[in-house]
Amino acid sequence: MKTFEEKWTAWIDDELTGRDLAEFEASLPDLAAAEAEKRDAQKLGAFLKEHLPCRAMGNEEFFQHQLRERIASETAVPTSQGAGGGRVWWPIGRLVWVGATALAIFAGVTFFVMRENPATDQSQYLSQILNARVDPVVSPNATITMFESKEDKVTVLWTEGLRSLPSEYASK
Amino acid sequence: MQRRSALLLGLWLTLIFGGVHAGNGAQTVWSGLVIANNVSKPEPPSPELTYLEETLKDWFGYNQYKVIGQSRKVLVTGSEDWLAQSKYFSLHIDSKEGNDKTGYRVNLKLFQESNLLLEWEAKLSKERPIIVKGPQVGDGQLLLLLVVQ
Repeated sequence: MKTFEEKWTAWIDDELTGRDLAEFEASLPDLAAAEAEKRDAQKLGAFLKEHLPCRAMGNEEFFQHQLRERIASETAVPTSQGAGGGRVWWPIGRLVWVGATALAIFAGVTFFVMRENPATDQSQYLSQILNARVDPVVSPNATITMFESKEDKVTVLWTEGLRSLPSEYASK
Repeated sequence: MQRRSALLLGLWLTLIFGGVHAGNGAQTVWSGLVIANNVSKPEPPSPELTYLEETLKDWFGYNQYKVIGQSRKVLVTGSEDWLAQSKYFSLHIDSKEGNDKTGYRVNLKLFQESNLLLEWEAKLSKERPIIVKGPQVGDGQLLLLLVVQ
């Protein structure tokens, strides 16, 4: 069912015929005024056709392409790619969630890796005594021996012959 | 809303990188002067010595190990010096530059008051203690311990 505007436009363009034409003209409150308006519109149309001819577009394909892209971008579901192929920034909220997810994955992987390699906390090397000496004046007969015990995981510097001291030297 | 989310994200990143840095960063060296002797009712060792008690008993045969002086130093730059001391003994520790993954290079000097008794250089690895048998003190023995914790 045509609207009044559609029928009006068709009437102006002389496209209504027969029963439609009769019904439409009967529905007009002032047929004379409408006829006058129709004539004015037709005159204006003729004038525009005469003086403003449609210019041929040199780059018609380009504008059609632009229009199609614009329509597609406005009607399509939003994606990460913009209409012109440019990147569209994610909203901060989504970035935060992606960050949180990445953190959770990182924490999970770290947990499993750490659990599988617990020995890395301890050095695989024993401590080493590189050199040692006693004061020959204070302890002329002292000797030094170095031990590295892989079983106990300790390195021991064993001295013999250091001058003994009285028990009061054991105080804090 | 966006500003709050950005702040939250920044906080997370700070925590992550701060945690990673702290995990890879400074380590603590515990150094102690210990008197080992045999007594009828031995006291339990201090927490720093608990895991070493059996090793100490195996090596030295005493039933009590008592800390008479200690220090705990966090190595930040790797080139630092510090002191563990009791009333009569002091252990000077000087960490040298050039530390690597295999351990810390340290120079150590044991003084009995102002007398230098013993001097040594060592490479100290994590959780691999160095134990030094010092002079006899009364009926016991002075031991020096260094542990990278």
